Amino acid sequence: MNLLRAWATLTSLTFRRLLWSASTMMVMLPLAGCLLFVLRLHYHRGRSDFTFDEFRHFSDFMILVFASFVVPICALAYGTASLGGDREDRTLVFLLVRPIPRALVLLAKFTATLPLVLGLVVGSFWLYCRLAGEVGQTAFPLYLPALVAMTLAYVCLFHLFAVAFRHATIIALIYALFMEVVLGNLPGIVKRVAINYYGRSMMYAAGAEEGLKSPDAEWFEPLSPDVALWALAGIAIGGLMLAIVVFSRREYRDLT
Amino acid sequence: MLLSFDHVTKFYGAVIGVNDISCRIGPGITGLLGANGAGKSTLIKLASGQLRPSQGTVRIGQYDAWSTAAKHHLGYSPDLNSFYEEMTGREFVDTMARLHGFSRSEARRRTDYVLEEVGMADRGLRRMAGCSHGMRQRIKLAQALVHDPWLLLLDEPLSGIDPGGRREINELLLRLAGQGKTILVSSHILVEIEQLSNSILMMSRGRIVASGTLAEVRNLMQLRPLMVEIVATPARRLAALLAENPDVQSVEVRDNAVTVRMRNPQRFFGQIGELVCQHGIELRSMQALDAGAEAVFDYLQQGRP
Repeated sequence: MNLLRAWATLTSLTFRRLLWSASTMMVMLPLAGCLLFVLRLHYHRGRSDFTFDEFRHFSDFMILVFASFVVPICALAYGTASLGGDREDRTLVFLLVRPIPRALVLLAKFTATLPLVLGLVVGSFWLYCRLAGEVGQTAFPLYLPALVAMTLAYVCLFHLFAVAFRHATIIALIYALFMEVVLGNLPGIVKRVAINYYGRSMMYAAGAEEGLKSPDAEWFEPLSPDVALWALAGIAIGGLMLAIVVFSRREYRDLT
Repeated sequence: MLLSFDHVTKFYGAVIGVNDISCRIGPGITGLLGANGAGKSTLIKLASGQLRPSQGTVRIGQYDAWSTAAKHHLGYSPDLNSFYEEMTGREFVDTMARLHGFSRSEARRRTDYVLEEVGMADRGLRRMAGCSHGMRQRIKLAQALVHDPWLLLLDEPLSGIDPGGRREINELLLRLAGQGKTILVSSHILVEIEQLSNSILMMSRGRIVASGTLAEVRNLMQLRPLMVEIVATPARRLAALLAENPDVQSVEVRDNAVTVRMRNPQRFFGQIGELVCQHGIELRSMQALDAGAEAVFDYLQQGRP
């Protein structure tokens, strides 16, 4: 028995099934919407040089729409489907009776999902930046670390949802739309339940190099980029560890 | 190696799935018989390490059934109809083999072998979504066999398979049992088990209500009371004659139908033909009213703690 080979098989199987799933169709819509916005921006800009207004406009869109809405949608589409799909299709039973430790099953699911989501997020962000011209070239290195950290945190969190809840996609959607969008924009400490608060803190701090300011800094109260990065890393590691513990101990009575 | 249950109880919240089950299942085919909801699937899920007992222990050889080590020795064919539908049968079995850590070539070799064994060698390239129920059952069996386990847990493996296919699968299982494998086959149809197995575990309401050889369980069943409706002319004359039979517990007449409740049905059915011939009674039909598996299990359940 070669455990590494079994893990690689499961990772490859999960990657292929996710790539050719309905999730891919689902994430293409918001990504295409963002593309249209960037193309419109490019069209209006014409051949003019870099201006701060354009940078601010592009940055606001990337922070408030792409990072706060599209990234969690991409992460939940694949993050919950990697394990939740097997659970809903009741094919998970074929994995649970194989001699692969459950922790490794979950890690295989995670390692299949992460490159897919990261590829989509980073790839589409790179494309938007390329199309946006000089504004995009300036923005790409500034915002990339925050987007990667947010993606990692979301993917880990949504794996935890998939392990814990029967209909993880619905729960994750409620989380993404309510907790992230509504609570993440409330004044006070409540917004700290939202991953995008930490991501936005990092992005506004990075954009400040080009003169970007966070809107209503008084109530937004951004964290320092280091603290925000540690918070995202903590959410990612904590979420994944918790998912592994829950998955290793959990009985799935609804499979057969 | 043995599959052993030691005082195993499983609760689903307030509902009890299996109740204080202790048994050891050794090489050969053991039939797990019970009506729907009797606890067969729970027992098999406990044995396959999908569920953990609330009390007691389930062991596969020396390993706890929940452990990863136990799953090296376990082949499981679930009672569900879900697959990776986009795959062909061959791809599905090959993938399951590779999840056991076999190399690509070894997995292919094993897949070829088991597909041949289950009679799917020539139909393995068909997509799962386009496979009939019988073909899907065979693929399930193939994925359970692909790593050559010594313990096979088969949950309703013959449902949906045509008579010819059943014969082939039965022959395969008998051949595997002959190699010393331990095979636990669940079913709610006694005839299916009869053709396969000499050893039976009969479950009802979460308990094992009878176990032993087929002959021992059948003896228990033959002594159980049975209710039969006989349509005959003259019905009253037949009722009077039946009332004299010491095995008959009660007789009720309605129009031309006589409803008889008797114990020891085997002896009763041996006598009834002679009785109607001797007294010139015209027998039109005879129908057991409570002969279903549930009635048998209910009877076996009576008097048990």
